[in-house]
Amino acid sequence: MSWRARAAQAASAWRNLFRRSRVERDLDAEMKGYVDMLTDEHVRAGMPASEARRAALLATGGVEQVKEQVRDVKMGVFLQTLWQDARYATRVLVKNPGFSAAAILTLMLGIGATTAIFSVVDGVLFRPLPYADADRLAAIFLKFTPQNMARGPLSMADALDVLANCRSFQEIGLFQNGRLDLAAGGASGTGDATGTSSSAPAEQISGFFATPSFFSVLGVRPILGRTFLPGEDAPNGARLIILSEGLWRRRYQADASIVGKTITANSLSYTIVGVMPANFTTSSPEVEYWGNLWMTPPTRRGPFFLRTVGRLRPGVTLEQAQAEASALGRRIEQGAPRDYSNLDLPVVPLREVFVGDARPALMVMFAAVGVVLLIATVNVANLLLVRGSSRGREIAVRLSLGASRGRLIRQLLTESLLLSLLGAAGGIALAYAGLELLRATNPGTIPRIGDVRLDMRVLMFTAAVSLMTGILFGLAPALQSVRSDLTRSLRDGGRSMTSGAARRRMHAALVVAEIALSLMLLIGAGLLLRSFFLLQHVEAGFQTSPTELVTMRVSPNRARLTRQPNNQFDEAATLRYYERLLERVRQIPGVQSVALAEALPPNRSSWNDSFVIEGQDPIEAKSNPSVVIPTVDTGYFRALGIPVRRGRVFTERDTPESTRVTVISEEMARRYFAGRDPIGQKIKVSGPGLPNNPRYEVIGVVGDVKYSGLQDDHAPVYYRAQGQAPNMRMFLVVRSALGARVVPTVRREIQAVDGEAIVNQVETMEEALAESIAGPRFRMLLIVVFASVALMLAATGIYGVMAYSVAQRTHEMGLRFALGAARGDVLRLVMGQAARLAVAGIGLGLIGSLLLTRWMSTLLFGVEPTDPTTFAAVATGLAAIALIASALPARRAMRIDPIVALRQE
Amino acid sequence: MASSTGQSQLNLLQGTLDLLILKALAPGELHGLGVSRRIEQITKGAFQVKPGSLFPALHRLEEAGWLSSTWGESENRRKAKFYQLTKAGRRQLETETEEWQRISLAIGLALRTT
Repeated sequence: MSWRARAAQAASAWRNLFRRSRVERDLDAEMKGYVDMLTDEHVRAGMPASEARRAALLATGGVEQVKEQVRDVKMGVFLQTLWQDARYATRVLVKNPGFSAAAILTLMLGIGATTAIFSVVDGVLFRPLPYADADRLAAIFLKFTPQNMARGPLSMADALDVLANCRSFQEIGLFQNGRLDLAAGGASGTGDATGTSSSAPAEQISGFFATPSFFSVLGVRPILGRTFLPGEDAPNGARLIILSEGLWRRRYQADASIVGKTITANSLSYTIVGVMPANFTTSSPEVEYWGNLWMTPPTRRGPFFLRTVGRLRPGVTLEQAQAEASALGRRIEQGAPRDYSNLDLPVVPLREVFVGDARPALMVMFAAVGVVLLIATVNVANLLLVRGSSRGREIAVRLSLGASRGRLIRQLLTESLLLSLLGAAGGIALAYAGLELLRATNPGTIPRIGDVRLDMRVLMFTAAVSLMTGILFGLAPALQSVRSDLTRSLRDGGRSMTSGAARRRMHAALVVAEIALSLMLLIGAGLLLRSFFLLQHVEAGFQTSPTELVTMRVSPNRARLTRQPNNQFDEAATLRYYERLLERVRQIPGVQSVALAEALPPNRSSWNDSFVIEGQDPIEAKSNPSVVIPTVDTGYFRALGIPVRRGRVFTERDTPESTRVTVISEEMARRYFAGRDPIGQKIKVSGPGLPNNPRYEVIGVVGDVKYSGLQDDHAPVYYRAQGQAPNMRMFLVVRSALGARVVPTVRREIQAVDGEAIVNQVETMEEALAESIAGPRFRMLLIVVFASVALMLAATGIYGVMAYSVAQRTHEMGLRFALGAARGDVLRLVMGQAARLAVAGIGLGLIGSLLLTRWMSTLLFGVEPTDPTTFAAVATGLAAIALIASALPARRAMRIDPIVALRQE
Repeated sequence: MASSTGQSQLNLLQGTLDLLILKALAPGELHGLGVSRRIEQITKGAFQVKPGSLFPALHRLEEAGWLSSTWGESENRRKAKFYQLTKAGRRQLETETEEWQRISLAIGLALRTT
């Protein structure tokens, strides 16, 4: 079947689905009339009525077939004219390269940006998660005072309660974050004579420890081997591991027989049982392994480290699950009142968990890009209006020769659609490049970036958008072009078709719209710029220059730090290890000081817990917040340049045998020791539910430092001495004027002490600070780019319209000059017109901004969404630009030679 | 298209039918059946145009702008669509008539030579 016939078939299917159009009804009537008249003829010839009708139908040869053939012809004609229009449109576009280029470029920018942002929004917010029936998945969190995390982790005791009581879920899986230090080499199998053959270096990987239910809940099958079986979460059992496809390919050469082999991680032996496919982790690409979680029976309520993912029972709603969980929360609190208050178990749909935070920013981006597209559309509409006016004569002639208005409008629309499609093609290329750039620079603020793709869904969206914009900017000028008094326009050479008041009004309205839209976008950009600027200048709390501080994470070979037979942590060995390490690094020429820390500014903290101050009222103590408790060594405060306000900091005399001591931050002193000397007071780790916790004696007060990001207000912090509570993995801080250049030497010294140590997360403090505000920076840059594009488009739009207006009124202005008007009057006339448009646009834009910027407030720092300074500055700036853009044409108007103008037709 | 002179007439082109329709409408407006009858009449019965060819042709000519149509009543007060020639249609009739005469003259000459 020819494609034309296929198209006709599709069209008739469409027709049959919806109401019959007028054309269809006409055709029915026409055929009915024909058959009736033929019947009449037969009757007149003497045939009886019934036979006459039958004979008529026979002679007609099947009414339905005739109708089909007519439809076929009509479709054929339609397609033919479409093709003709397309070819004509192409010729027109090629003949006006300047105009075409301007229009296509503008559309490229608008449609390209919209496509790129839509693919991000689609990938993050709309695309389904890569799990079976993902809408039925939800996570249960823990929320209580004093921890105060809206979606906090659970303790093992909490998890056991949840597993036993949450009947709304048919299954719940548990998991916790983990890092494994892989020993150098590959995987070894039993029966491998040569053992490992790979030369992969030691590396640290991130992943989870999970229960067997974790996998059955998510419902994704492994590509090799299996997931964990029930019972493999029993404590002190075999250590098993599942690899991600990425890790399997990258480090183990996609070995097809990897299942059953063992690897050494954290100095322990893990057996590989399976490999998960790559699409399992598109939403969390940093996860490379899953170890089997041991459900060790808890001895107390805390610590809190477990996360959950559960599948709702069929027919159970989220609200029901939440009601059940909250009721459980109340019961738990009643049973353990000293550990919890205001306990709740929020149940959150899984998609929300992944993307919830990103939604406001994404919506703002989408709105911003929508504005850019609108401005681009308006610009092209203006361009078309202008060009349409120069074709006035051509159109008048064609109309007078008998072309139907409908046909002409269709042809003009075809030109617009062609522009739109070309712009879309270019825009898609632009969007592709933009997405690649995004992936390369990934500021980490876009969750599920692996799911962001330019695929059919996105392309369909682009096609729809370009069709809509084509019609949007093409329709009005097309209608405008064919609606006029023919005779008048033929007589005056097509001019009145072009300079009609309606056309001028349309230009003006479009320009006002452009100005209003640009203003809103510019204000948004301005607010984000100010936020970012304020954020950048937030004091992190330490005084050493960030370029002189280099930090890195050291993960020693655990075998050296543990005692057999049970892999017990050997504190003394750890202290000695790090002493040796620091000693060697200190000797490096150029190194001023070194230190160890388990948390670092601006946002690298690992451990939160609450506290009680000895002597504090127990009721009050229950509402102490959960704070960061960094463990640092004796050189930390000096290396970072953190001022000591009172007392002293840690020294070598603070050993595991001496009194446990702590140094508190100024904020801590202000809030909890107001009016009295904190020195000598005692602080207990963890909440009031643990009366036998170790007590720490306060020996000093230091300046506030941010550990939870620059945006966070000063939170109280208290430090513990590494000499008294050593950790295996620590950050090494090196202060040196050489900055990053000192790193290779430091690495060498570390390897000299411990050949298997893994050194990663190496960066200068300057880099760390920049990275901590990467998200806000990215958002700010993106909106500034959009706002700049919008401004450029709006400025050229204004210039174009004003220049055109002046050109059109050359005759009129020449007349004015000839009649004695001063040059200044004409200037005032033109500028006055421009000023009126600008004022209207800015006014509308300000109102729009006042109404809409509140949706941005979560993205702002230190500025209100209605910040008057920003509003005023941007409005003034845009007004200035608008006036400059119209000044050039105005000057040209002033210089019109009346004689030339009057002679001009 | 059926005719008394046989199958060979079926190969007569769409263009010929167009010409006949235009000619049939030259004197004045007609509805579909009327056009068919008129063609039969002016070709002295040689061509009886079936609706399967007639209506697609009428609609095509209308789309091309050579015919226009209005709704009206037939002799027996039946609702019918009447077609008339447009200005462009009249010009097209002239052009095509000339063209046809030129061609038939040339073919006639060619066939007469032995």
